[in-house]
Amino acid sequence: MKYTPRALIAEVTHRCPLHCVYCSNPLEMQRRSDELSTGDWATIFEQASGMGVVQLHLTGGEPLSRTDLTELVRAGREAHLYLNLITSGVGLDEPRLDALIDAGLDHIQLSFQDAEEAPANEFAGTRSHAFKLRVAGMIRQRRIAFTINIVIHRRNIRRLEEMIAFAEQSGAQRLEIAHVQYYGWALRNRDALLPTREQLDRSVEIVDAARERLQGRLRIDFVLPDYYAKFPKPCMNGWGHQQMLIDPAGRVLPCHAASVIPGLEFSSARERPLRWIWEESPAFNRFRDESWMPEPCRSCDRRTRDFGGCRCQAFLLAGDAATTDPVCTLAPMHTIVEETLQRVNGGGDRSWVYRIDPR
Amino acid sequence: MSGLAQDSVLRLAPGCRLSAAGGPEDLLLIPEGALRLKGPARTIVELCDGKRTLPKIVEELKRRYPTEDAFRIETEAVALLSRLRDRGVLEHV
Repeated sequence: MKYTPRALIAEVTHRCPLHCVYCSNPLEMQRRSDELSTGDWATIFEQASGMGVVQLHLTGGEPLSRTDLTELVRAGREAHLYLNLITSGVGLDEPRLDALIDAGLDHIQLSFQDAEEAPANEFAGTRSHAFKLRVAGMIRQRRIAFTINIVIHRRNIRRLEEMIAFAEQSGAQRLEIAHVQYYGWALRNRDALLPTREQLDRSVEIVDAARERLQGRLRIDFVLPDYYAKFPKPCMNGWGHQQMLIDPAGRVLPCHAASVIPGLEFSSARERPLRWIWEESPAFNRFRDESWMPEPCRSCDRRTRDFGGCRCQAFLLAGDAATTDPVCTLAPMHTIVEETLQRVNGGGDRSWVYRIDPR
Repeated sequence: MSGLAQDSVLRLAPGCRLSAAGGPEDLLLIPEGALRLKGPARTIVELCDGKRTLPKIVEELKRRYPTEDAFRIETEAVALLSRLRDRGVLEHV
């Protein structure tokens, strides 16, 4: 097998106390009654480790919604994986944090929605900001790697400098600033969330200046919105190349959005060995090499770098997963993206819709 | 930032650790992913136990690799350690 999986993204639940307007989880979420058990996950971690996976990202929903999270961390460490928890912090207290660290948690990535309380709570659809500040305080007192993640968009981007200043004082070693990516619920709210070209340019200037100023003190990772890019992002570093995602019910996917693509059957880790799914399943092989590529990708020099962009986005925007990602300026369907950008650059804020939790 | 003071005492920063000894490959696991360790790199990182000073680490390496050029051991070890320190993988005690 040419491709070795290096990271497993484990969506251990879709339940979440937050209702973020840019949630990237699929529109159809898995229910609690369908969730994998502790033992199912432990078996999966063992298999993944045996295939070459070194990083385990526990995410959701909110992973803390699972009462067995400490056992999941322990199972991951027993399988020799590096344990990263991606969390809103809601559900954490000092004893639980200590138990997670004792079980072998390596790194916590804590999300914030803004640097100011009122808008942060508005974007999260719940009053969580003050609690998150207390959680950040608990984490900084302990010896564990700490990253703060803030998603930025049209309605909070003007406070980017305040967000960076907040991260600087939080005790975190890393700050991830991510523009919203338009999948799942975020796509529903796209026109309310996409920044203007002017806002985007300003955010790049601010991050560049902050990186220079904070060198050696706070590392900043920055994710740009691909709608404004000239070429598409190398989504997941290639379909089925390095990463796999397992949803709460055990379905194994090349990424968090792939379930939107019609005609692909994603196998369950409950029914098939993980190695078979990675190496042999038709869904993982569908876009793995270059044989699916149409023009202009097929003859493009960039095809080995960006792999034709994102298959899910191609389907979501152009209705065809096997076409060039429409964000590419060379794509035949690029006008779809241009029209969207014209609309959102036309001025005026739009309203959004909140999502509800799965049962 | 480059170079390390002679009295530097380093250890792995929180969230950074070596992959299990005797595993299929030697990796330094960090929050952003994993760094592949080649040649004596694993040994060099292991010697950063939060107690040894830089000269002690170099001395130990020279003892373990007696056939290698002593000057080369020193320059390469210091270069690796200062790179990892600058990346935040190693921290000063």
